[in-house]
Amino acid sequence: MRKLLLPLSAVVLVMGARDLHAQSRSISGRVVGSDGAGLPGVTVLVKGTSLGTATDMEGRYTLPAPAGATTLVFSFVGYDSREAKIGDGPLNITLLSNPTSLDEAVVVGYGTQSRRDLTGNVATIAGREIANLPVQSFDQALQGRAPGVNVTTPNGVLNNPPIIRIRGVNSISLSSQPLIVIDGIPTYSGNNSAVGNVANNPLGNLNPADIESVDVLKDASATAIYGSRAAGGVILVTTKRGKKGQSKLSYDAWAGWSSAVRLYDVLGAQDYMNIKNEAVSNLNYNQRNRITGVPASNVIGFLPSFNADGSLVDTRWYDHIYRTGFSNSHSLNFSGGTEKTTYYTSANYTNQKGMLRNNEFRRYAARLNVEHKLLDKVTVGLRFDYSNTLNSSPASGSVADVAFGTAGIGRSPLVLPPNISPYNLDGSYNTNGAGIGPGANRNPLTGGVLVPGYYNPVVDLDNNYFTSEGAQIQGSIYANWELLKGLNLRTQFGLDNISFEDKSFNTPLAGEGFPGGSASNYFRTNKRWNWQTTAQYDRTFATNHNFSLLVGTEQQKTDVQRWGATRTLVADPFFTTFQGNYTNIAAAGSAYGNNYLVSFFGRLNYNYARKYLLTFNVRRDGYSAFAQKWGNFYGGSLGYAISEEDFWKNSGLGKAVSFLKVTGSFGKVGNNQGIGDFVSQTTYVSGLYAPNSTLYFNNAGNTSLTWETSKKTDIGLSFGLLQDRLTGDFAYYRNTVDGLILDVPQAPSKGIPNNTIAANVGSMRNTGVELNLRFNAIQKKDFNWTVSGNITTLKNRVLSLVSDDQPIGQATSGLETVNFTKVGQSIGELLAVQSLGVNPANGQRMIRKADGTVVQYNHQGTTGAGSTGWTILSNGADNGTNTTSPTQAADGVYYGPVLPTWYGGLDNTFRFKNLDLGVFIQFSGGNVIYNGTNAGLHDQRFWNNKTDILERWTPDKPNAKYPRVVYNDNISNGSGLIMSSNIEKGDFARLRNVQLGYTLSQTQLGFLKIASARVYVQVQNAALVTNYTGIDPEISSNNTTGASANGGAGVDRNSVGQARTYTAGLSVGF
Amino acid sequence: MKLALNLQKTAVAVSTLLLTFGGFSCQNNLLEPTSQIQFSDQVVFSNPARIALQVNGLYSFVKVGGFLGGRVQVYGDIRANDFINRATNNVTGTAVWNHTLTETSVNDVISMWGAGYAAINQINVFLAGMDANAGSFVAPTFPSNFAATSLNYQGEARFLRALCYYTLLQYYARPYTDGSGSRLGLPLRLRAEMGPDANGLARSTVGQVYDQILLDLKFAEDNLPLTYGATAFNNITRAHRNTAIALKVRVYLTMGRYADVVTEANKLVPTSAPFVAPNGVAFALNSSITGVFAPPQETAESILSFPFTAQDTPGTQNQLAYYYLPNSLGGNNGEYSLNNSTGGVLSEPGFGAADARRTSLTALSGTERFLTKYPTGTPYTDKAPVMRYSEVLLSLAEARVRTTNSIDTQALALLNAVRGRSNPTGLYTATGLGSVSAMLDALLLERRIEFLGEGLRNTDIMRLNASIPGKSTIGSIDPTNPLYVWPIPSTELLTNNLIVRN
Repeated sequence: MRKLLLPLSAVVLVMGARDLHAQSRSISGRVVGSDGAGLPGVTVLVKGTSLGTATDMEGRYTLPAPAGATTLVFSFVGYDSREAKIGDGPLNITLLSNPTSLDEAVVVGYGTQSRRDLTGNVATIAGREIANLPVQSFDQALQGRAPGVNVTTPNGVLNNPPIIRIRGVNSISLSSQPLIVIDGIPTYSGNNSAVGNVANNPLGNLNPADIESVDVLKDASATAIYGSRAAGGVILVTTKRGKKGQSKLSYDAWAGWSSAVRLYDVLGAQDYMNIKNEAVSNLNYNQRNRITGVPASNVIGFLPSFNADGSLVDTRWYDHIYRTGFSNSHSLNFSGGTEKTTYYTSANYTNQKGMLRNNEFRRYAARLNVEHKLLDKVTVGLRFDYSNTLNSSPASGSVADVAFGTAGIGRSPLVLPPNISPYNLDGSYNTNGAGIGPGANRNPLTGGVLVPGYYNPVVDLDNNYFTSEGAQIQGSIYANWELLKGLNLRTQFGLDNISFEDKSFNTPLAGEGFPGGSASNYFRTNKRWNWQTTAQYDRTFATNHNFSLLVGTEQQKTDVQRWGATRTLVADPFFTTFQGNYTNIAAAGSAYGNNYLVSFFGRLNYNYARKYLLTFNVRRDGYSAFAQKWGNFYGGSLGYAISEEDFWKNSGLGKAVSFLKVTGSFGKVGNNQGIGDFVSQTTYVSGLYAPNSTLYFNNAGNTSLTWETSKKTDIGLSFGLLQDRLTGDFAYYRNTVDGLILDVPQAPSKGIPNNTIAANVGSMRNTGVELNLRFNAIQKKDFNWTVSGNITTLKNRVLSLVSDDQPIGQATSGLETVNFTKVGQSIGELLAVQSLGVNPANGQRMIRKADGTVVQYNHQGTTGAGSTGWTILSNGADNGTNTTSPTQAADGVYYGPVLPTWYGGLDNTFRFKNLDLGVFIQFSGGNVIYNGTNAGLHDQRFWNNKTDILERWTPDKPNAKYPRVVYNDNISNGSGLIMSSNIEKGDFARLRNVQLGYTLSQTQLGFLKIASARVYVQVQNAALVTNYTGIDPEISSNNTTGASANGGAGVDRNSVGQARTYTAGLSVGF
Repeated sequence: MKLALNLQKTAVAVSTLLLTFGGFSCQNNLLEPTSQIQFSDQVVFSNPARIALQVNGLYSFVKVGGFLGGRVQVYGDIRANDFINRATNNVTGTAVWNHTLTETSVNDVISMWGAGYAAINQINVFLAGMDANAGSFVAPTFPSNFAATSLNYQGEARFLRALCYYTLLQYYARPYTDGSGSRLGLPLRLRAEMGPDANGLARSTVGQVYDQILLDLKFAEDNLPLTYGATAFNNITRAHRNTAIALKVRVYLTMGRYADVVTEANKLVPTSAPFVAPNGVAFALNSSITGVFAPPQETAESILSFPFTAQDTPGTQNQLAYYYLPNSLGGNNGEYSLNNSTGGVLSEPGFGAADARRTSLTALSGTERFLTKYPTGTPYTDKAPVMRYSEVLLSLAEARVRTTNSIDTQALALLNAVRGRSNPTGLYTATGLGSVSAMLDALLLERRIEFLGEGLRNTDIMRLNASIPGKSTIGSIDPTNPLYVWPIPSTELLTNNLIVRN
């Protein structure tokens, strides 16, 4: 169901129609929506006349029609009109909602507006488009659904927050995530879990089936009312309300299976041993006299292990880590209303098991939305939502900056030798200390056991757990008093409290917890209150001058606390929880924060005859975290609806172009999202020097720190062609962020804590165009085809930083820095030395240095003075001159951008009789990805390799893709030196969702005695078209919020890809 | 109409009232939040207890796992040829071991520099704060003798600063003996850095940095207390006067100023046995070497060690027992085994088969031999050793041999004092040694055996401008090789426009 403005014109017309008295027979029937519920207020007209009526609260109508009438026309704002022949008996009809109808109400900050009158840029996504998708949080489902909104799923771990970018990255050090507002109350987003292995996105607490609509505010005009928090855009979520006279009970359920796709092909045991032993012999070749006369040990280290039945151990590690996960979801809601009271209440249970073992998401949620007319002019309401979610994940190595963790099971099947088994012959775990046992493999350097250092993932998966459980109460009470006609005074008090209980347990048997075992518990509370008071006055003067004035205040206080502890050295393996007995305990995870925002704002909307439109917003905000606390923000826009002009309506053009509006907006908004609560203060904290307490300098403050501001320009064109069968929007946008809050890198030799000081320096610009089209291609009685699509372009430029020649690096999980943000380029481009491939003469990796010399690397080492392994190549031959290693900083070349320069979605909906088919494609491209996983997959330590290593250089195959394998070489593949051979294009098109549904007919429903029913099957992530060789082009190893997400996109390091999910579902209305 | 107008007025009044109430009831104090867990910089010098906590804080920065709480000790040994890297993990020193470090190597090149300078700035900020607040150190908040306490604290701070600069010089700069300190050293940061300016600072010469180190150590020696009382823990984990003198011995030896080594060491070492420091904390050799490394590692031999507790651990992959002790011997990974091939210390003829340092501080697991000096597995509370009295004795012996150019009698006695404790049958005699160079070789070998896994090896090679020997498949590094010293980290190169690459 769509939100609807009161169809004023229809009411007037119906009133008029009731005065006519020239009927000869009565036609009656019922009008329902696609969900089977009756539609009240639908205009029913006898075709060719002005005779008509409107449906009642249950969607029923009775119309006295003249004898000659043959056809009725049903129309309703927000729905496609339909005609139907008058026959014998009741004439029942189903209307299909039309989501981009120009008359729908758009939710804007602190109110709603008709899309026809809108001058700001707002995209709307209907709740039903995302209600039954197999996702954990609604934001995951926004991919490709709206222009200007880029949603990236960085990995396939359940309830990991997606990366949402509205019109590009809008900050470098702060958050670029949009502000998420649920029913007027700003809520929490991003990963809130204290346990690195498990993600907890609080938005997973909201039952997607409760969502009426999601509106995305993009330009300054639309967002300025949120002033200081609007730079990254605003996502307004509106939950469902009851409707007068409609008593409804509905039940939605789905169930399905998820499994992994596109896993890398890695070497089997025999190929692995062949390659590694070749590498060992290449290393030892000619070693005898090179190292000060010491003969190198020449151990052939990689030897077969055998199973009990004598067969070769050939472990496919994927089989121990991935699974087919079963998921199901059930939502029940009932709603209704009387003249005085409306209500909507729902309950939801979902349990989703991911493709990774131990990865699970579970939610219980309940909601009550009530609105009651207390007095003639006073309405009060309540919105209340409670939910409990449990997130459980193995150490996936894919979330929260742990890409290089030895425990990460995204990585272990790529690294672990296939010729060792997870179990010993007696069935016990194969371990050696913390790590996996070596099997028959020997260290070629010493002859001792080979120490993989990596853990046995089976031990971890069987014994460890990492969970984050969230309990959220979110709600508000509000009262609206219509003091005068058109003057509404509204006050709303909201609470948003969430607690997180995060736990981790590491077994003492092996792995991270070896040898003592460890258990950590953390408890976090986020407490927020928000109080908004507004007065709005709507009035029309002299027929055509329509004014709407809003003034208001808002205050918001947020407190965050976390405490926790880690216990180590478990007394007995019996204990697997924190409450057991352990020898040691140490405090862990303590955190404290509080912040306060106070605001005054106003908005004026004016239009003349809905032709000339104007909106102006102002907001003044004070925020506690800044040293300079107050900021003023504004946004204004103008619109001209040419199609409302009589000359247009009466012209031939007017027949073809039924609606045409141009808009332009400009404004300045701010950003405080993600700033530390006390970052502007110079502070000390206390720690430990063994048994004694300490006090030390921990933050260099900045007494001039203030708002980051974003100047947004938007020029838009909205149109409707062919009686609005084809509607669309086009927009050009330009966001210039000034006074960027940057964690300005300080020379490490200064020893400033964290080597950064937050300051307002630098600027950045995002520009692009958006196009959104919707076409009702075929509209027949039995066949319907609607196609809609959107595409957005993005060009990001960093205009200034602290200094033009000082790029700012962003490390991946603290270990490897590939991304650098530099003036004149787009944010976070990749810096890599230029690989020229493999020297056919000797199989060595060739790199071009900045001065143009080409050098090559020999992991065997080189001889002579200054031997480094690197020699200069001249005329393609090894001339033997030793040289220094190329370096990323001196010899690196930039590759970019890492943000897609184009992205969008294409949605096709087919309806044939009772069948419907939805095909949704998401696409994106123009970006590059650093495929660091590929570097690891060709590393010549004991690590397993991708099967294409078989195409390595050998004397017989001089023109090879990969260098001659030399044992322990981690340079030539890119592990130790970032090189361009691991940079790839990230273009892709994904068949994100295919859904086939069947809606039961009235006859069938009558037989079953239910109001409506639909069954469907769908595939999520059905197919992917890309040249990217990694597991998934959407992948990102960097964090999803804050600086590492902004300046660190486009890095693929050991993360797991997205699952493919098949589901079948059912929606029934009673 | 009148009614409507009144209604309108009322409405406007009510709206105004409510909005005003809503807006101005805003609590302005909420806009000035204070943290419950962080102190403002304005209050940290306001009483003696907080200042004392800050002094502890300085030690905690020097002893972080990435610096002298573990990694420095590990890197000082694995660069050379006594250990074999088993885990091939760049996070745990593989690139240090096989000399493939680059300026972007995070866990060694970038991390050690950052940790060292973080400690230096904490010290500089503390010293500046003590100066700036000196006027407020008065009764009744401060005791009347606080001026003396303040000098003690400043002595500790400057001792730690000297230790930090000395440590960084050993990795990021050419040895003093290469050009008598004329080569490029480190940016010499002595000012408290709390703001955004002064990112650019050129490298002082090696000699200039050593001058500052000696200046700081002189101040420390002059102002540090003689002792912190009878509790061994305090005297081992905080710097007193003899600690400063011991570091001076090490610094002068590293610089090749052997006469000064003798002068300083003589303050701590009597001319004849028993060798016990005559003033201040009475350093002495422990009767057995194994006792030195048995928890809690608090014998009179330990001059300075950094302590850990279950609440304050060295941190992941910094723990000495994690590096050297395999699971089979009660540790964890055993990232490094002892090199049992030719060239490794195990195969040195001077390292006797019955030497307690072989029989008690190393152990066999499978075919590999491991160092067992750090016996405590999780939560890894072995102290990280920085200086022991045996080092002072051997340094003095070496300096005496070099200054006298003879097989000095006292030097021989000192050498045998250290050696004889662990290897009573292996004592050297003047005739047995036969030459000054043999005596020096014996002394260097003794240091290698005695301080195995304590991080002194790299300096003992580089202070003589000698080649770093090769091992396994890794070649040796001669002093002209660019890999002889670590690169300046890329993070410094990006932010300090006056820095010069190595």
